[in-house]
Amino acid sequence: MTGVVDAEAVTKRYGEVLGLNGFSATFSEGITGLVGPNGAGKSTLYRLLAGQLKADAGRLTLLGYPAWGQGEFRRRVGYCPESPALFDWMTGSDFVTTLLRVDGFSRSEAADRAARALAEVDLTADARRRLGVYSKGMRQRVKIAQCIAHDPELILLDEPLNGVDPVGRAALSTLMRRLSATGRHLIVSSHVLYEVERLTDQIVMIANGQAIAQGDLHRIRDLIDSRPHVIDLESSDPRALARALGGWDHVVSLEFPAPGHLRVLTRSPDAFYGDLPALVLQEGVTVTAVRSADDNLDAVFRYLSEGRR
Amino acid sequence: MSISAPRYVQAPVARVGRSSRLWSIVQRELRRRSTWGPLLAMVLTWFIITLWAVVAVFFTSLTGGSVRNAFESPYESVIWNLLILIVAATAGAGSLADDIGSRSITLYLSRPIHLTDYLLAKASAVGVWILIAAVGPGCVAAFVSAVLGWVSPTDALAAAGGCLALGIVTAVFFTGICLVLSSVTRRSLYAGVAIFGVVLSATAAVSVISGITQNANLLYADLTSNTQSIAEAAFGLPSPYPTDPAVSAAVMLLTGAVLITLAWWRLSRIEVVGE
Repeated sequence: MTGVVDAEAVTKRYGEVLGLNGFSATFSEGITGLVGPNGAGKSTLYRLLAGQLKADAGRLTLLGYPAWGQGEFRRRVGYCPESPALFDWMTGSDFVTTLLRVDGFSRSEAADRAARALAEVDLTADARRRLGVYSKGMRQRVKIAQCIAHDPELILLDEPLNGVDPVGRAALSTLMRRLSATGRHLIVSSHVLYEVERLTDQIVMIANGQAIAQGDLHRIRDLIDSRPHVIDLESSDPRALARALGGWDHVVSLEFPAPGHLRVLTRSPDAFYGDLPALVLQEGVTVTAVRSADDNLDAVFRYLSEGRR
Repeated sequence: MSISAPRYVQAPVARVGRSSRLWSIVQRELRRRSTWGPLLAMVLTWFIITLWAVVAVFFTSLTGGSVRNAFESPYESVIWNLLILIVAATAGAGSLADDIGSRSITLYLSRPIHLTDYLLAKASAVGVWILIAAVGPGCVAAFVSAVLGWVSPTDALAAAGGCLALGIVTAVFFTGICLVLSSVTRRSLYAGVAIFGVVLSATAAVSVISGITQNANLLYADLTSNTQSIAEAAFGLPSPYPTDPAVSAAVMLLTGAVLITLAWWRLSRIEVVGE
């Protein structure tokens, strides 16, 4: 494995609780989404990567260095934890400056970099306010500012969009893409799947402390082709359409969730999409909308999780 | 022609050394503690001890008694220990508990510093704060007395040295107490109460037990006996106490060091599983 981050059978226990259970994955360059429900082990993985926890078993490296322990390579890593993790009595500017000084920057260099990082996350106007009065979204943004202020090569963002308003989300997503475009690597976790879907196609899915899938989102989608694929159709005559579709071998079931709507479960979405236009012409019905109800990460994740039970 | 993704390389920047990095944590911690509670305790300690020592030296200068006795008199009292305890509890209780509670400790430790460095910086901040309270008033009293001509500069210097010796031992001991109790909770209030509870109850228990058993060795476990004994020796006075000041100092320094090590051990085992 030669990724930015390589995990090989990493296990971490908290007493009787398994945080990670033989987690194996390779995080390649660019933005990688780490997707999983709450309690899946995402934050444990981040803490292992940040060198704050030591794995009980397995091998975990980042930028080619063992994740456990400190060293100069830590300067090349930025970490934005999920927890509030702020010094409420400090101003935003002091907060970022202090952490930069711990990083080893001189007072003036730290102040300059802090100002630039706060500008990146649109907090310049609030830089002199105490963190204690920041909103949740502002707290998230200032955490990201401290994470990128030292220009790290690898950026670990644990639920960075949590609590950020829609405008802020868009701005942070743009920032992440911009950081990635300059050659930096980001590992972005979320339990809200569409957030990651909008950032990258490259994902690692985690559940119960294990990587249940990884790679390009569409390849992962291929993994679940054996399961029924839900397609919603809007039609002028859904019953006529259903009668025609009932003769297709790969159609598993047909439902009418609402007037004018038909929900189809098919084992072969490719065949369905290929044959549908001809069927519509042949039956003379009007189809006004075709939606894949589960062409998103939520569905992929649900399928994969169910498949492992 | 080939197209490849950009590869990011961190621009070289001159970095300051480890001591400067730790100093930045110490500075922040000292600023953090500059709130009304610790400051009030500090002002109270300075006011009482300075006034006490100055007044004692003034009367001694009139009666011709021992100036060393006069300088030492505040440290002989239980009040001094109580004041230092208040200073330590208000300033040191939150030193680790606040960072653990807010989990901002993770931000420090994700930087290129070791846990030992972090704890060293925290210990320095707490220690400096206690040292200012323990040493400052005596030194000011010595300086004022010398300026007013009540004592010779030599006596004033000796008194300042005595304050420094006692102050260092006291600061190490209380820093250890503060850090270990601050590392076991996420709330500074609990840590503060624990600092008071542990010190006062241990002192009371040892006093009672040593009184009943008439075992003088037990007094080495008594904070008041130890500081009184060390104070006598630090100010160059013959000790009326059954305890050896050197052993008392060793006990307090060793206890402080062991407690700081325990705080390190505790921090190295903190693992938080979600909210």
